[in-house]
Amino acid sequence: MTASRPLPTLLVIPTGIGCELGGYAGDGLPAARLLAAASGCLITHPNVMNAASLYWSDRRIHYVEGWALDRFAAGELALAPRASQRVGVLLDAGIEPELVLRHRQVIDACRASLGIPIGPVLTSELPLGVSLQKGASGSSWGTIARPDVLLRAGEQLVAAGATAIAVVARFPEDPESEALAAYRAGSGVDALAGAEAVISHLLVRHLGIPCAHAPALLPLPLDPALDPRAAAEELGHTFLPCVLVGLSRAPDLVPLVDSLMRGTAPLLHAAQLGAVVAPAGALGGAAVLACAERGIPLISVANPCLLEVNAEALGLVAIPASSYAEAAGLVLALREGIDPAALTRPLAGPA
Amino acid sequence: MSAAALRLQPVTLQFRRAPGPLLAQIEAALAPHGQPLRWAITAVEPGLAGSCPLLTLEAVVLA
Repeated sequence: MTASRPLPTLLVIPTGIGCELGGYAGDGLPAARLLAAASGCLITHPNVMNAASLYWSDRRIHYVEGWALDRFAAGELALAPRASQRVGVLLDAGIEPELVLRHRQVIDACRASLGIPIGPVLTSELPLGVSLQKGASGSSWGTIARPDVLLRAGEQLVAAGATAIAVVARFPEDPESEALAAYRAGSGVDALAGAEAVISHLLVRHLGIPCAHAPALLPLPLDPALDPRAAAEELGHTFLPCVLVGLSRAPDLVPLVDSLMRGTAPLLHAAQLGAVVAPAGALGGAAVLACAERGIPLISVANPCLLEVNAEALGLVAIPASSYAEAAGLVLALREGIDPAALTRPLAGPA
Repeated sequence: MSAAALRLQPVTLQFRRAPGPLLAQIEAALAPHGQPLRWAITAVEPGLAGSCPLLTLEAVVLA
C-alpha cells in the first residue's frame, strides 16, 4: 500500500475572537499537528502556531501570516517552501532597555541553540505607538500611531538582507484589567491580537515577505489559577522564540504573475487546496469565503467563540465536525477519496 | 499610497447582502472607506420575509 498524496489543507482560527481552542497562547498547535498528519500538508497562520517560548516545527506545516494567507486563499499568491529564511528583527523604540536586552538574548539563543539565521536587528526611529481597542462584537482590534515608521524600518531590514521580519512592538501594560484577568482565567479574548494582526498585515502587504509579531510586555505577577491555555505566555520574558522559529522556515510569498514564471520551483497554489478548516461560528473571514467561493470543501468545527457567523447564516455548504479530531478524520477521508457523507448514518440522499 | 501618508482607520458598517458571491459585495462595501487591511463579518441578522440578511462588518482600512 502506498501513502496517498498530501491534501493541502488550510487551517484558520481567527485571532482575537476568544475561540475556546486556539484563542489563547498557541493552544491551536495540537490541532494543527493532527491536521498536518492527516493532510500531509497544512497551511496555517501564526496565531495558531505561536506559543511564546514554546513552538513546534513540522515540515508539513507552512507558517503564513494572515494577510498573505487571505491572498493565498484568493489565488493571488503562491507559496514557495524553502529551507530557511534570514530573519531580520525590528525592535520598537518604545521598548525599555532592560526589555530590549531580554529580546536580544532570545535572538542570541535562537542563533546559538537552534542555528536560525537572524539579522540584522534594527530599532525603529520612533516608538510605534500601539493602542488596543475592542470592536462592537467584543473582538480584539487595535492600531499603531506610526505605520510609516514601521514600514520604513521594514524597508531598511530588507535592504540589509532580511528575507523575513520579526517585529517586537511595545504593547500597553494593563495588569489590573478585567479583560486580562478573564483571559488568564481561560474565559476571555486575547486583547493584544487585533493590534498584532494590524502590524504584521501592514508589513506583509508592503514588503511581500513573511512577517510576524511578538508583543513586548513586562512579566505579570504569578497567578496560581492560570489557565493552561494561557500558560505558554508566562514561561519566559518574551514572546519572541516561536516567531523566530516560525519565520525561519516560512515559505516565500510569490505573486501569481511571478509564480507562473518560476518554472521548476515547487509552489503551493490555492488551486491545490483540498479542504479548509475553520471554527463553525467564525466563517466570515476573507480566507474562508474565498475558499468557499472556489468550491473547496469547508469543514466547520464546533469551537465556541464570540461570533455566530456560521454556514447557515452565510448560505455556505459546510461539513460539520464536533471537534478537531473529527475534522482530522474528515480531512483524511478527503485525502483518501472517501465521501465524508458515507461515514454517517442515515446515509444522505442521492447525490 | 506612500508610507508617510498612511492612516489606519477602524470601520464598522452594515449592509444587506444581495444574492450571489459574497466577497465582491464586501469589497464593494468597504471600498468607499479605504483600502481594507483587515476585516471580518462579525454578525448576521436574518432577513425578514425572505429578504437577504443584514451583515455587520468590522474592519481596519488604510484611509
